[in-house]
Amino acid sequence: MSLGILVLAVLILAAAGFLAGRRRAISSAGGDPRRLHSLPGHYGQFAALLTAVPALALLAVWLMAQPMVIEQRVASLLPAGDASTSSLVMADVRRISTGLQRLAVTDGLSPRDVAGLSPEGLAPRLRAVGVAVTSMGPETLAAARAHRDLQDRLGFWMVVSVLATSAAGLGLALARIRPDFRARNTTERFVMVILIAASLVAVATTVGIVMSLLFETMNFFRLYPAQDFFLSLTWNPQFRGGSDLGIWPLLWGTMYISFIALLVAVPIGLLTAIYLAEYAGARARSWAKPAIEILAGIPTIVYGLFALVTVGPALRDWFAQPLGLGASSSSVMTAGLVMGIMLIPFISSLSDDIINAVPQSLRDGSYGLGATHSETVKQVILPAALPGIVGAILLGASRAIGETMIVVLGAGAAAKLSLNPFEAMTTVTVKIVSQLTGDTEFASPETLVAFALGLTLFAITLVLNVIALFIVRKYREQYE
Amino acid sequence: MDDIRYAERVVSAAEVKIAASRVQVFYGLNHALKDVDVEILGKTVTAFIGPSGCGKSTFLRCLNRMNDTIPGCRIEGRITLDGHDIYDPRVDPVQLRAKVGMVFQKPNPFPKSIYDNVAYGPRIHGLARSKAEIDEIVETALRRAALWEEVKDRLAAPGTGLSGGQQQRLCIARAIATSPEVLLMDEPCSALDPIATAQIEELIDELRTQFSVVIVTHSMQQAARVSQRTAFFHLGRLVEYGETGQIFTNPHDPRTESYISGRIG
Ligand SMILES: Nc1ncnc2c1ncn2[C@@H]1O[C@H](COP(=O)(O)OP(=O)(O)OP(=O)(O)O)[C@@H](O)[C@H]1O
Ligand SMILES: [Mg+2]
Repeated sequence: MSLGILVLAVLILAAAGFLAGRRRAISSAGGDPRRLHSLPGHYGQFAALLTAVPALALLAVWLMAQPMVIEQRVASLLPAGDASTSSLVMADVRRISTGLQRLAVTDGLSPRDVAGLSPEGLAPRLRAVGVAVTSMGPETLAAARAHRDLQDRLGFWMVVSVLATSAAGLGLALARIRPDFRARNTTERFVMVILIAASLVAVATTVGIVMSLLFETMNFFRLYPAQDFFLSLTWNPQFRGGSDLGIWPLLWGTMYISFIALLVAVPIGLLTAIYLAEYAGARARSWAKPAIEILAGIPTIVYGLFALVTVGPALRDWFAQPLGLGASSSSVMTAGLVMGIMLIPFISSLSDDIINAVPQSLRDGSYGLGATHSETVKQVILPAALPGIVGAILLGASRAIGETMIVVLGAGAAAKLSLNPFEAMTTVTVKIVSQLTGDTEFASPETLVAFALGLTLFAITLVLNVIALFIVRKYREQYE
Repeated sequence: MDDIRYAERVVSAAEVKIAASRVQVFYGLNHALKDVDVEILGKTVTAFIGPSGCGKSTFLRCLNRMNDTIPGCRIEGRITLDGHDIYDPRVDPVQLRAKVGMVFQKPNPFPKSIYDNVAYGPRIHGLARSKAEIDEIVETALRRAALWEEVKDRLAAPGTGLSGGQQQRLCIARAIATSPEVLLMDEPCSALDPIATAQIEELIDELRTQFSVVIVTHSMQQAARVSQRTAFFHLGRLVEYGETGQIFTNPHDPRTESYISGRIG
């Protein structure tokens, strides 16, 4: 029985449970729904939920646990080796196992036939059903058979136990339905539990991401002293070892580029927002707003191309070379300007919403005292919107810090600590990418440093986002 | 009706301050005010009464062109202040509103300190040359609005942190600090307790020596106590306008009579 059919069966059972639950509730009340505590539909919902949810939850857990259990059992059949070879062998075992199943289907083999297959000449037959195997020895084959066997057996028990849970849920629900049973409250609570479970998925993922970063970072610090990472001013990775992996040149590049980006984006974005929210007529708004949103939808790699072919050379030819500040078209200025342009729609549409949320009564109050439009904007609306705008700017800053593509194409890849904005520099994100590209294993400090960099970046943006959310929340309270 | 205490009816200066003739207001297709003719006298308190939704606030907002800020609102007819048409294209609504101040139906303190709320008008109009002068204006305005004693120790606290009634008095203080020639008050006492209401009524009576006051109120007693003239609105029309005593004791229109005796509204 395939997974889809199993899920479908559970859902059909749940639908049946809905009807049965409703029918039973009405009949238990002697045909008079008013004698029930809740609406008949609530009893139906209760039965349906109890039929479907525990069964589906069991299915989910089973699907996650099954491969782990199988692999643990099969691993004991294989000769012990070091971690990387045994994971390769295990991958082969999985592939052969899949191949055996396909063979059984295409060639119509009985389980006995499968058990009798010998390693010789099996590889070409497996290739014929689309499975490529690298090593094929008697042990691997035996392990693959055991794998296949376990998978079939566990799959069978999975179907049985999921259906049994479903049926048990249905039976339990029907047994509990009585006129005074509070189906509505129970369903509400049930729904709440489902919602909580859904949001836990997001939280758990975040925790997982942080944990994996943290784990690899700890590995890194075991190989490379933390004080060198945080305090050294040189970044010079050598793939033969003996590298300098100080974070400061990268952090400096990140800060410098983000700073220039915000210097561009904040004033322009804010003024745009003020124009749109306070001065623009309905007609101007109706085309300006979508135009700005289009700007927000451009992929950052396209901005990067713009930096590479247009802004960079222009800055070099018109500013850097005439002023004697450098001859490189990749520069902090290029990346900062283009990133600023990328952030304009972000800042302006957030600020626009925030300015629009300032109550009309405040504007009226100001106009009623004889204030002009710009006095009202400057002295009443902006102060009222300020916390929200600060929040928007901080969110913009954390986007700038995390941006990669524009920097790769606009600022270059040279880690440098310099004040000259027309010099090529690079950022944390770019170095994370370049340290991880190439086929080295995650075992040397040169690759593991990427995780430490990632974690640092995560910490910085997290702090910025928390501050931003805190400010935005405070601002909301003001008018509620 | 016997418990109503009538204000002094002597209208010292009888010159017309604001004259409105055949004013129509449309909100989109909704004809909210129909053919309103009113003459508001200088140094007089005029009360607007009428059932909810009859257009009192709408008319009040016409008098200082606050309706300009409402999209889709259209005004016809003629309104003059001291003989000059206020809807003339040459008139600057900003200047007009400095002369015709307004207290809104819902308190709307700015998210600034109490002090800055009151100092807002004097500052933008350059009414004071020094910090000391502004201090004085702020204190006088707060005293007259009967709020000084409650807030004198926390002038730097945000105005939005005051109670509803205090906010209403803050808005009154803010309006009188600008020293307008006409003060429009839309239900200024709707959130006030009887003591604060009495203080505000006293203030209104006192303001009458300097400017015209137009007050919208749902309290017949209040209209009778503070005003010299009363206008009764009903369903977007001005039904009756005249001396307060006459409106309350001897209304000409049967609708006025039913309203003040509590039968419609
Ligand atoms: N901003 C607006 N947009 C559209 N229609 C409006 C607007 N303001 C008021 N109206 C309409 O104009 C009419 C008069 O409203 P107005 O606020 O002047 O009544 P009011 O007499 O002040 O009532 P209340 O005593 O309840 O304050 C109402 O029918 C209302 O629906
Ligand atoms: Mg009103």
